[in-house]
Amino acid sequence: MIHVDNIAVEIGQRRILDGVSFTARSGQVTAIIGPNGSGKSTLMKALCRDYAFSGSISINGRDVASMDLGTAATLRAVLPQSSTLPFPFTVREVVALGLTAGRPGVSLAALRRLPDEALARVDLSGFGGRFYGELSGGEQQRVQLARVICQVWEPVLDGVPRFLFLDEPVSSLDIKHQLMIMDVARQFAAAGGGVIAILHDLNLASMYADQIVAIRNGAVAGAGTPAEVLTDGLIAEVFDCPMRVGAVPTGNIPFVLPQSAQRFVAAAPQSKVA
Amino acid sequence: MSQVMSINGAIAERAEGDRSGLGRMVVIALALLLVVTMAISMTTGASGASASTIIGGWFGLVPESEVQAVRDYAVIYNIRLPRMILGVLIGAALAVSGLLMQGLFRNPLADPGLVGVSAGAGLGAVGIIVLGTTMLAPLTAFLGIYALQIASFIGGLITTFILYRVATRSGQTAIATMLLAGIALGALAGAVTGVLVYVANDAQLRDLTFWGMGSLSGANWTKIMASGPIIVVALAVSAFLGKGLNALTLGEATAGHLGIPVQRFKRVVIVAVAAATGASVAVSGGIGFVGIVVPHLLRLVIGPDHRYLLPASALLGASFLLMADAVSRLIVAPAELPIGIVTAAVGGPFFLWILLRKRAALAW
Repeated sequence: MIHVDNIAVEIGQRRILDGVSFTARSGQVTAIIGPNGSGKSTLMKALCRDYAFSGSISINGRDVASMDLGTAATLRAVLPQSSTLPFPFTVREVVALGLTAGRPGVSLAALRRLPDEALARVDLSGFGGRFYGELSGGEQQRVQLARVICQVWEPVLDGVPRFLFLDEPVSSLDIKHQLMIMDVARQFAAAGGGVIAILHDLNLASMYADQIVAIRNGAVAGAGTPAEVLTDGLIAEVFDCPMRVGAVPTGNIPFVLPQSAQRFVAAAPQSKVA
Repeated sequence: MSQVMSINGAIAERAEGDRSGLGRMVVIALALLLVVTMAISMTTGASGASASTIIGGWFGLVPESEVQAVRDYAVIYNIRLPRMILGVLIGAALAVSGLLMQGLFRNPLADPGLVGVSAGAGLGAVGIIVLGTTMLAPLTAFLGIYALQIASFIGGLITTFILYRVATRSGQTAIATMLLAGIALGALAGAVTGVLVYVANDAQLRDLTFWGMGSLSGANWTKIMASGPIIVVALAVSAFLGKGLNALTLGEATAGHLGIPVQRFKRVVIVAVAAATGASVAVSGGIGFVGIVVPHLLRLVIGPDHRYLLPASALLGASFLLMADAVSRLIVAPAELPIGIVTAAVGGPFFLWILLRKRAALAW
């Protein structure tokens, strides 16, 4: 369980986050949503301890601020927004970097096959020998995810749940691979691990998250199940943009339809979207 | 997956893109190459003395006049052996410090010689040569034979530290800023060195000239005693830096997420670079391009995994310098060319070739 308690982050004179609290449970996917500049990435950097913060963050009851980096690396793995490499690594070598210091939790024999299994999970089997720099942005993003899941391969190790922090994991992916990556996150949670993901696509958040935390102006504007957070009023306020929430008939999952102020204002009363 | 036969006959699976087996093989091959180049170094020179004759003489295999044996013994043990050992140490130090800087700056073009670190180390050495008997006399008295080495180390350390502070912002190094800052620091160190040379007396000028040529020709056991331990320690420490340097290629934040204590790690790298560069510059002056040529060639063959690049660079750097030294001794025998000229003649064109190949990717 990750417990974020009343944290604040200041950069220079500006207070980017103020009084943020929420709990991300193991076995769940927690989505963080919010407009650009709301403080989502700052929150992620505070979770990773890249930024100093006041208040407290704990992973499985252990204080993050006083945790050594090696321990932190065994408890959570972090997918950055983008990664460029200055040297010509092969895809497999990049994935194997995930084994630098974490504890994958598998036998030594299985460790050698781990990068290839991780590549298979992100639909990149056979890419191991290619050079990372020659891949498309979306493929590079999936290679990085494979590296990250290597670091915490077993979602629960010695009875302790581990976490994936994903900063916009699907931002440069096509729709098939967006779903595939979110399926990887879902499986990780289903196996007992926890996932915290910054997502821009509200429908993806609705479909995959157990909990959604909406951030606006550096504070939590709402937190709860997708049905609790994705309501017309709350998300219109968070994103400062008119939106209409419906429900998918099967499973009653909310879906969000942005309403262009210019185009649909007149048509909105009839609820017709052609 | 391709299948390869391993030594014990079992079939081992080697995954595509996994170059660790190749890395290990290349390291072993380079170790063998070093044995060969060391032998060549021992048997090459203006005098006709040959190591095999000496060894043969011990066992009575080669009949020799006593006079000849004594002379050859002197040549081998007082001239060639220290020169060979110094060549191995300095070649390894130069190649590894280049590789460490490239990893630290996440940039294949970084090299202590190019970015002013060698100039800073040189300034420290010149300071001791010129001021060692006057202004810095208490210091030289205290440090003894290590004075030159330690002054170079401190000069290199200060330069590396300033360079890093100027060129790196939030973990990202701008290539142009790094090279320009290196030029500025090199020029500054050069200017101060110039002032010191200007005030030097005739005897000091002679010392400076010999030192500055970039040569292994003055190799002796005292120099090995002074620089050897520093270089050996720096190389031993850097042998443990491979994993961290690999993680650092992903950026400082990600290296931290992988469990590397980045700030402490970078300090260790900077000190290792300054120690290796300082100790080599102190005894051999400026020998350029080894730190660029050797790691770059190896990266082409075994890839950028620092766990294999570090030992491979040390071994190939040593061989490369021994061969350059052999060439410098033979090409104008019985005189000899400063070795810096030979490495620059190989390294300059090589560096231009890298730039041509990378012109599109570098874009600055």
